[in-house]
Amino acid sequence: MSIFRISRREELLTRFAPITEKPGTDRRMRAAILRARRSRSVATAFSYQQTFDKAIANLVRAIPVSNEVAEWFRNEKLIPRSKRTWKKTAKNPAVLSAALALAVIAGVVLFIVMERVSEFPGAGTARKMLTIASTTDRTQLDVVEAEAGSLGDFFFMKYRLEHYDVAPEFAGLRTTACRVFDDDEGRRVAQISVREKRMQFFLFPAERDVKEARPREFSGWRFVEQEGWTGAVRVRDGVCFMAAVRGEQKELEPYLAEAVQRAAAGAPER
Amino acid sequence: MLETNQNLPQLYRFCYLMTGDAMKAQEAFQATLREAALRSAQREPPKDRLWFFRDARSRCLVVGEEGLQPEAIKLEESDVSPHAPGQVAQLNPEQLAIWVSAAPEPQRSALAAYYLDEFTPHELLTLLDLSPSELAKALARGRRQFQAWLNATTPADVYEE
Repeated sequence: MSIFRISRREELLTRFAPITEKPGTDRRMRAAILRARRSRSVATAFSYQQTFDKAIANLVRAIPVSNEVAEWFRNEKLIPRSKRTWKKTAKNPAVLSAALALAVIAGVVLFIVMERVSEFPGAGTARKMLTIASTTDRTQLDVVEAEAGSLGDFFFMKYRLEHYDVAPEFAGLRTTACRVFDDDEGRRVAQISVREKRMQFFLFPAERDVKEARPREFSGWRFVEQEGWTGAVRVRDGVCFMAAVRGEQKELEPYLAEAVQRAAAGAPER
Repeated sequence: MLETNQNLPQLYRFCYLMTGDAMKAQEAFQATLREAALRSAQREPPKDRLWFFRDARSRCLVVGEEGLQPEAIKLEESDVSPHAPGQVAQLNPEQLAIWVSAAPEPQRSALAAYYLDEFTPHELLTLLDLSPSELAKALARGRRQFQAWLNATTPADVYEE
């Protein structure tokens, strides 16, 4: 089928096609005119119609306007010029594409800002630990059944790891296994497995400020997510503690809030 | 609000086509402008130019009902001819206005508004409050009837080769 084949509706539209080109003519009308000009069946009749319409429009333009009438609009400014409405402006393809581009840029900027906001010193290492948590086999850890809070002394006595203490919020939980290993940057990492929610704890050195050679600290608990695991991280005395659980932040957050409350009240852990 | 008076001659021509009489056209035209001036003075100016044409149209219809009325007869129809521009050139604007003003509504308003060559198709439909098919039908029939009238009133032998 030819692209210039004119439909009945288009043929109908051409019957009131603008006599001269007007900027506000819509797309359907423009397409109908184009098809009418190229269509074998209606091109001739349409060209006759156009010359007929032009001749009459010229005659209309020749209608004299008397001096008396002309006086009325010599000083009058009454007819508002049609303004381009904001809706019409918004439908302009150029405006639409610019708006879309701005929206994408805004989205990217927002994403980066949100990422920066949720970033904290040591977030990168915490993510690496979550990857380790997701791949750790139970047999890689040594069986240690004890209260998590007591492992700080164990790490100090056995591995000389100072301040590698489990956060008080999780100190009462029973451990099943643990290990100490060096990560890919040679930092000592303690990994503990607990029964509760099949969580894993990680203790690792906090990120250091290169200029001042001091651990970079932050307040409260921060969350990281990686490979289906979520970790809640806090830093004390230059050591980061992370409680990692399989799942999303929304699952860990209420559990942590409860644990924090319990720890604040001095209640024993489950 | 931006304002212009460049459309006012067109408004007068519209009234003239609608009434076919300079006095009646002037009456409707002036009444519309007075109403617009009054609204402007009351800080409720007409929102767009279509208001003027809509107001003038209703006034023209009222004015047109006074005096002699055209007889309702079935007019001859003829296909639009390639010689039409030459035939139209033999007419004066008054003849055209009389012919248009004698047409029944809404054909009269449709012809008057369309041949002003002032409005976009969308504006035409809004002004006349017609559907696309109604407007198309009114104009197509108007052309055919006007062509038949041209054939009857202008010498045909001029165009025979």
